[in-house]
Amino acid sequence: MKQQTEGYSLVWGLVRRAAYWAVPALLITALSLIWFYRASTYRIFDDPLVNTIQALIASVETNNNDGADKPIRLTREPIDDRYQLALSGRYWLIGEIADNGEVGTIMESRSLYGATIRLPAQAANQIKNNPGDVVRSTSRGPDNEPLRLAAQSVIFPGETETPVVIIAAADSRPAAKAVQNFSVIALGLMSILALGQALAIFMQVRIGLRPVFKLRRQVADVREGRSKEVEGVYPTEIQPLADELNTLINHNKEVVDYAQTHVGNLAHALKTPLAVLRNEADAKKSKLSGIVGRQSEIMSNQVDHHLRRARAAARGQSIGVKTSINETLTSLSRTVERIYREKDLDIQLNMDDDFEFRGEKRDLEEMAGNLLDNACKWTKAKVYVSVDIPEDDEAFVRIIVDDDGPGIHPDKYADVIKRGERLDEATPGSGFGLSIVNDLARAYKGSLSLDTSPMGGLRTILTIPSIVEAS
Amino acid sequence: MRILIVEDDPDLARQLGDALKDTGYAVDIANDGEEGHFLGDTEPYDAVVLDLGLPIIDGISILQKWRADGKKFPVLILTARDQWSEKVSGFDAGADDYLTKPFHTEELLARLRALVRRAAGHTTDTIDIGDLMVDNRSARAFVDGAPIKLTSHEFRLLSYMAMHVGRVISRTELVEHIYDQDFDRDSNTIEVFVGRLRRKIGVERIETVRGLGYRLLDPSGDEAPGEEEE
Repeated sequence: MKQQTEGYSLVWGLVRRAAYWAVPALLITALSLIWFYRASTYRIFDDPLVNTIQALIASVETNNNDGADKPIRLTREPIDDRYQLALSGRYWLIGEIADNGEVGTIMESRSLYGATIRLPAQAANQIKNNPGDVVRSTSRGPDNEPLRLAAQSVIFPGETETPVVIIAAADSRPAAKAVQNFSVIALGLMSILALGQALAIFMQVRIGLRPVFKLRRQVADVREGRSKEVEGVYPTEIQPLADELNTLINHNKEVVDYAQTHVGNLAHALKTPLAVLRNEADAKKSKLSGIVGRQSEIMSNQVDHHLRRARAAARGQSIGVKTSINETLTSLSRTVERIYREKDLDIQLNMDDDFEFRGEKRDLEEMAGNLLDNACKWTKAKVYVSVDIPEDDEAFVRIIVDDDGPGIHPDKYADVIKRGERLDEATPGSGFGLSIVNDLARAYKGSLSLDTSPMGGLRTILTIPSIVEAS
Repeated sequence: MRILIVEDDPDLARQLGDALKDTGYAVDIANDGEEGHFLGDTEPYDAVVLDLGLPIIDGISILQKWRADGKKFPVLILTARDQWSEKVSGFDAGADDYLTKPFHTEELLARLRALVRRAAGHTTDTIDIGDLMVDNRSARAFVDGAPIKLTSHEFRLLSYMAMHVGRVISRTELVEHIYDQDFDRDSNTIEVFVGRLRRKIGVERIETVRGLGYRLLDPSGDEAPGEEEE
């Protein structure tokens, strides 16, 4: 026997393994998309800031000691209206960076409303050290809104000693909002894609495994006797399995047949020498012949007993076999008529339908043969056989045999049926046959019961599995 | 009465042969299917005891061949095969009775007697012809209730003639039915046996029909029972 391992689902296994790579791949894709989108959004966002700086540089003029309070002036302010509107979120500023990093305002957009723009220390250094380069950074606006800013330090030649820093800033919240929205949408879509993929794999596997489920039903049909072997056309990957199963089923049949044949051969090979011993012992009366006679009797009973057990053991394994009850009863009644020719019996069969037994023909012959033989042995003139389907269980069929003989007292029914279990009490011709029938019927999950016949003798009722007609 | 035993176990065949000879039968034994089939095909047996598991040709095939060739002698199947499926195929092949091994010799003898007399149209094992009584069960004959001492050959002769009482039986037929195949068949010995038998049961009981054979007369004048037709 194969060791019992914990069962696992092929479907869920495949889905899970697919998820192992699909989920990280989708996550990385989503994050990359978000990163690129974010970079591109901020680049586009920053472009107008750089333009503003360039416009401011272009329009700066120096006040050459002409008494103005500011060292520079603008020939033209940037035209965007938002620079005029207080706290609009668009700001520019021209100033000087003090040694401590603070920005001293020289000029500013009106939108700043008198406030200044703080530069982070690192950005301030970077600006100071790299005059002419556009430096990007973030800060807080007058309304404490997050800002993105571009700044450049410029030295106007010959006119001022210290460099002037020009800063353009904008409220970064709309861009951040856009990036956030994109992130949500990207992650959401990727999740939907992941679920869809999982579902697709699940469906694919279910549909892909359909032939396997079909094969399972077929094998069940074989086991329950509805079909002889696995039938149908399967995909090329499954067909070899179906073929192997059929080979296995046939092999099983052959092994059972082989074992049965050989047990039978052994038993039968022993019977002839036993007959010789018994006859020899019968012929000559002596102490030795008495022992030989008794022992050969015991041996022959043992052979019968074990032969029957071997047949019974092989029985449950015969699969997918059905036998016509009508044909079997007809040929059996012909046989018992010959056996009891001297009694000139009237054997009637009443079968108003085609009945089929789910099992081996020889087993049906053994059961029905013994019932008929028993009835013919005891009856006076008539044996009546009828077959029907019990009302309460249509998976079975009943064979009822009536005779008009002396019958058996109901108290002894159990003894007669059980006789086979107590080998030592069994003597030929004493109803041993009925216990064989009982053993066989039970091997088929059927039963044998006895009753008083309306004809006056014994009624035997054999209930055995039938093939249920698909109607 | 002449019986063929087809049985491959030599001990069992010998036992059966001895038992049958003791009860007044001429017996031939075949130890394989081929010989058995040949003997049954060529010799006029009154009954055959046939084993099923035989070398060369199996019993069922032999039986089917005999029946196909129109052989009507009764056949008793004696086999270790005790399943009903085997009984059914045995009877379907044309057997008249079926006995499974191991068996009691008495039962085999009784069944064989029944087959032989039924084939000859008799219903009992004893045949009464006037005050002559032939008991096939014990292989003895009585006149007026007194037993007559008969050799086995004499009894076979009487038994065969009693089975077919009232019918003229040729010498050849008598030779074929009371001697086994190993016996030196000189038809003159039949005359010797008939002569001895006449002396023991009464000369007038056996009539010589010149050129045809012998007839056991039935003083009651009843018609001879016809051969059973099946």
